[in-house]
Order: sequence, then C-alpha cells, then structure tokens
Amino acid sequence: MATVEERVKEVTAHVLKVSPDEIKMEDSFTEDLGAESVQSIELVAMFEEEFGIEMDEDAALAVQTVGDAVEFIAKVCREQGVDVEQ
Amino acid sequence: MNKETKTHRLVDRREPNLIEDIFPHDLPPLIRLRGPMVEYIDGKAVEFDFGAVKDRDICITDTTFRDGQQARPPYTIEQMVHIYDLLSRLSGPKGVVRQTEFFLYTKNDRETLDRCRELGHKYPECTGWIRAVKGDFRLVREAGLRETGMLTSCSDYHIFQKLKFRSRKECIDSYCEVVDAAFEAGVRPRCHMEDITRADIDGFVLPFVDRLMEMSRQAPEELSVKIRLCDTMGFGVSYPGAELPRSIPKLIYKLNRECGVPSDRLEWHGHNDFHKVHVNGGTAWLYGCDFVNTTLFGFGERTGNPPLEGAIMEYIALKGGLFGIDTLAITELADYMRSIGLPIPDNYPFAGRAFNTTRAGIHAGGLRQDERIYNIFDTEKLLGRPPRVAITDKSGADGVAHWVNEFFGLKGDDRINKIRVHKLARWVIDQYDQEGRLTAISDQELEAKAKEFFPDYWEKYKAGGK
Repeated sequence: MATVEERVKEVTAHVLKVSPDEIKMEDSFTEDLGAESVQSIELVAMFEEEFGIEMDEDAALAVQTVGDAVEFIAKVCREQGVDVEQ
Repeated sequence: MNKETKTHRLVDRREPNLIEDIFPHDLPPLIRLRGPMVEYIDGKAVEFDFGAVKDRDICITDTTFRDGQQARPPYTIEQMVHIYDLLSRLSGPKGVVRQTEFFLYTKNDRETLDRCRELGHKYPECTGWIRAVKGDFRLVREAGLRETGMLTSCSDYHIFQKLKFRSRKECIDSYCEVVDAAFEAGVRPRCHMEDITRADIDGFVLPFVDRLMEMSRQAPEELSVKIRLCDTMGFGVSYPGAELPRSIPKLIYKLNRECGVPSDRLEWHGHNDFHKVHVNGGTAWLYGCDFVNTTLFGFGERTGNPPLEGAIMEYIALKGGLFGIDTLAITELADYMRSIGLPIPDNYPFAGRAFNTTRAGIHAGGLRQDERIYNIFDTEKLLGRPPRVAITDKSGADGVAHWVNEFFGLKGDDRINKIRVHKLARWVIDQYDQEGRLTAISDQELEAKAKEFFPDYWEKYKAGGK
C-alpha cells in the first residue's frame, strides 16, 4: 500500500493538475502549487474520499503545506481508526 | 497638533460587544436621539426636542391611490380594494398608516371608495382629494368623508404663472372661499400648500396660514384646517442652517410655532427629485410634523414620494417597537404590485427581489457564520425574506453552501458544509472559466444541479419530504 505522503501527493497532483514528482513536502498549496479557493475545497473533499475519513472543515482548510496535510491526515486517520501506511 | 485632538484608550474585550440595544436584529436598527437640537432662526437659537418623537403620535399617511396613481396607468377597482386591505394589515390596530386619499370624480373613483370602506377597517381612514373648487365639496359630502385635501398652491410659479391670479390677495381670497365652503359642508379641509419649498414664506405662506388659523377658530374644532406642506419639486433640505424656503426645519418652525398650527395638523408631502425624499420625511417628523405622506414603494409623480415601507421602518426605528404593524404585509404588497405590472427594482430596499441578496463570496462566508454580519435585520421574521446569495464566479464555495442550505431549508447542525458542495462549486466555476458565461446563474439552473448532486437531500426535503 502507498504511504500517506504518496497518496496525498497523488490526490494533490490530480486536483491541481501538476506532476506528483514536482510536489515537495514544504510546498504551500496556494502559493507554490497555485490552488484557487474552490480547488482547496476540492482537495479536502478528495482527501476525505481517498482515506475514507471526515475532517473538520475549518481545521482542514487551515492546513497550508503538503507536509502539514500529511501530518493532519495521518492524525485524523488514527483518531477515526483508519489504517494507513506511514 | 490641533488642540481639540485627544487620545483614545482601547477597551480590550474577549467577548464581542454587538451593541444590541441599537441593533436588536429582531427589529430594524433603532435611532436613539438625544436633544436638544438647535437651529438658528431669525437670529435666535431655537431648540427642538427630537427625543420627544418617541411619545408624539407621529404617523404615516398614504397617497398611493392619488399621487401614486398619477404616475402609472389607473388601477382597477379590484386592485385598489386589495391594496387597501393589505395597507390596513400593515397599519395595524393603532393606525400607524392613519389615512389614505382617494379621487372622487368618476363613478369608478366613488365605487372604489365604497368598496374599501365596506371592508370595515378603521385604518387607514379614507379621505378625499379635490381641486380648490367650491362645487367639489358636494362630491365629498355625498361620499360621506370627514376630510379632504384641496390644492392651495403657494409659490408665485403657481399663483401667477399657472393659475393666472392677478395678485396674491386675489389668490388667498379665492382659496379662503373654498375653505369656507368646506366648513359649510361639514368637511375638514386639508390645504395642500403646493410648491411651498419655492414660495415666498414671509410674504405669502405665513399670512395665508394666519388667515386659515383665524378661520379655524371660528369653526368647530373637528373641522380645523390641516396644512400639508407639499415639497412639489423635491427642493426641501434637511440640513440645519439651510435658508428658507428650502429649509424643512425653518418651514415647520414657522407654521408650528409662529402661526400656531399644532403638530397634529401638519403633514409633510415630499418628492424625490434630488434623492432626499425619505430623509426629508423623517426630518419633518422630528421638527414637528406629525404626519408624513407617502406612497407604496415610493411610486408617484416623476421621481416619486417618500416610500411608505421606508417610513414604516423609520417609525419602528424612532419608536423602538412594532406597535401592531404587520411588516410581513410589505412583502405581500410588493409581490402583488409586481403581479399587476408595477416595476420594483431588484435592489430596492425592503422589497426588491435582491435587497438582501449578496453576490460576494466573502459576504456569503460571513452570512454562513452569523447572519447578523451581513443582514440588516431579521428579514425572515419581519419580511418573510431570509438573506440570499446570488451565484456568480465571485460567490465561492461559501456562497454555494449558503444557497444550498437555504434552498433545502437546513438550519444549525443540519447545514451542509462547503466541503460537501464542492461539485456544485466546481460546476459554477466552470460555467465562467470553461463556458465563458457572463450572467448570474439562475435559481432554476441551481435547483436542477442540486437535484443531481444532492439526491438524498432532494428526496428528503423537496420531493417527498417537506
């Protein structure tokens, strides 16, 4: 199974239409990867679908970077009893 | 540094101060007045107690069927009876909308009056409107009315240029003959001082009003002349310090305190030629006119009159309560007026289709968090109109989420968050980015998409549910 990081990068690449190889952990979704307002919403929705979790809207939208998203999603997965590859 | 400047200390708080004593939200924002207000008149400082308006019997009169009808094709009898019925509901049992006036000249005019009175409403009281012609009092008497308005134009534009009197004295004598005829007919005359804001106040208006007051003293009290100050061309101004004849404060002072016309016999009638109509009406209330004459949705000759529904909100704001007013009737009246062809602009306050609709996503975000941030008052409670969001490329997911929640009628924890509306938000963005659309998206289009993207909600709240 792919790791959380790989899956986050895959979803991000798909939604923002960039290559997964170009995405770095320190990249900001908005400033570096160019996510517009609606794309930020789509990212959260796609992460929920990919991991089978539900995230708090405000907390999820407050996440700035890819690395923070990996950490945030891993934490939510733990809280909601979803097994993931670290 | 200016000697009048001073420093101001921050009052830090952890809880918001929403100033709810002024912005109660379940009422329009209140206008709290502290007196006295000072106006310099003829070299003297004159005080006005604005705070007294809370205890004075100020009220609204209506001329939708007279001035309002002069600006549009005639209403049918049925239409006028229906509007009158709704006006009565709006007015409430205390008669905040105290009177409405009718033409009396045609068979239809008289039948309309009869049909309205057959409804049995106490308010608004039906009054008449006639020319300043003695013979016309027969119509008033036959209609059984207690009061009628009559034209007593008072600027030299009217006296000499229009009515062709040879002198002011001849004009006043003529008007007073008609007032006498009213007394003889047992009808209270309401003298409509047409074009008063362009008249010679000291040289014509005040001597004429002095004479009317003298005549009133010889007549039964219930027939005493009322004075309607007609700002026919919208020249009146509210600013302290403005000169006569345009100054509303000075005009009212002169009639009220120098001529001795009591406040309950003074009425302001404005026009909107300079965008001042509503504030001028409120100003007249504060300086001593008890009556402000209005039309529904401001519809009247040329640019219109003070909007009745605006005066209702002003009344509530000044008085601090509803006093039996049924504000929901405003929305029914607006719907009815639209259905019979009266155009109400979408952005028209209190009644336009979009008066509380935001197109900005950032405002929709505010509405989603707390309606009070971007809604002027509880428009759902007072007008049956919850705040709305019109969807464009500027609406964002916040706007889309607000629209969806309002459409399905979801409240509190049942509301759908903006993550759940991402497909609809994407569809909206693509309409503009991909399809090159330039117009707002209609409710019908959004409803079709809501059915597609939220089939469970549709089934529960639209199809089989509510």
